[in-house]
Amino acid sequence: MNKTVLAVGIAITAALVAVFFLAMGKDPQHIDSPLIGRAAPAFTLRAVGGGQPISLEQLKGKPVVLNFWATWCVPCYQEHPVLVQNAQLLGDRVQFVGVVFNDTEDKIQAFLRERGEAYPTVIDDAGKTAIAYGVGGVPETFFLDPSGKIVAKYEGPMDAGTLQTYVAKAMQ
Amino acid sequence: MIAFFLIALLQLKVPDAQQIVGPPAARPLAGAELDKRTAEIAQLLRCPVCQGLAIGDSPSIMAMNMKEQVRELLARGYSQEQILKYFEQSYGQFVLLKPKFQGVNALVWILPLAALLLGLGLILMKMNKLERPPPAAAAPADDPYLARVRELVEK
Repeated sequence: MNKTVLAVGIAITAALVAVFFLAMGKDPQHIDSPLIGRAAPAFTLRAVGGGQPISLEQLKGKPVVLNFWATWCVPCYQEHPVLVQNAQLLGDRVQFVGVVFNDTEDKIQAFLRERGEAYPTVIDDAGKTAIAYGVGGVPETFFLDPSGKIVAKYEGPMDAGTLQTYVAKAMQ
Repeated sequence: MIAFFLIALLQLKVPDAQQIVGPPAARPLAGAELDKRTAEIAQLLRCPVCQGLAIGDSPSIMAMNMKEQVRELLARGYSQEQILKYFEQSYGQFVLLKPKFQGVNALVWILPLAALLLGLGLILMKMNKLERPPPAAAAPADDPYLARVRELVEK
């Protein structure tokens, strides 16, 4: 066999193997958020259960944990107690906000009654806020520093350790 | 009570495209043209919860929300370029089904072309070799065998 052809063949195969090796173990659904390090998109959304709408602007001054979820999302059931417990634990030092999209108020209220409520939840009716945050699926959580800048994003349900690690990052 | 709800409703605000891509740069669309352009742009955006599907082909809630957002932006007069940029600002280049010609993504366009040119080059080299007649072996002038053959031919 011609040595040049053999060398080109080996080079192409090696490049393909390297690409597959680098891609292995990565979640194909993971999206690197271009919003990290930028100001969180502003919103004013209606709160579940009536009351005054909640705006992101009014939460500035303390770290914010912005959790996108829905009652039709199975992993959200697993994550909810973690969020409630940590919101109670951290008290006034960190503001937790739940953002629910493509859901009904009745179902959200029933969910919160049954599983506990420790922070405000707002409704993103047509999912426009979720789109502005680049949300792929729920649950997805954004961590904002006191100036309103997004410092981290987590995809999927969090355990207490993960949540506390990210909260610490937002508090720095 | 109704007044309270109306006031609360007026206060609501979702992140708007104007803050990200500025005012609309095209004319507002409606009717069949709006449907057509929505379907076309929906083929250019990747559904974030699917495996390589365009939002126009996905039945997922997220994809349907995104498609509705495309429709609304076109109706408000946003251009295709502005709409793609709006989604790219939130999701990154991941959301574009046709990668941009920049950075590492440029390789997606360059490598197939380079491979094609390399293949063509190899084929041309091989063809050139096959067409060239093999060099005639120079016979020594004083070869007695050749001298005898010449003598016989010339007779």
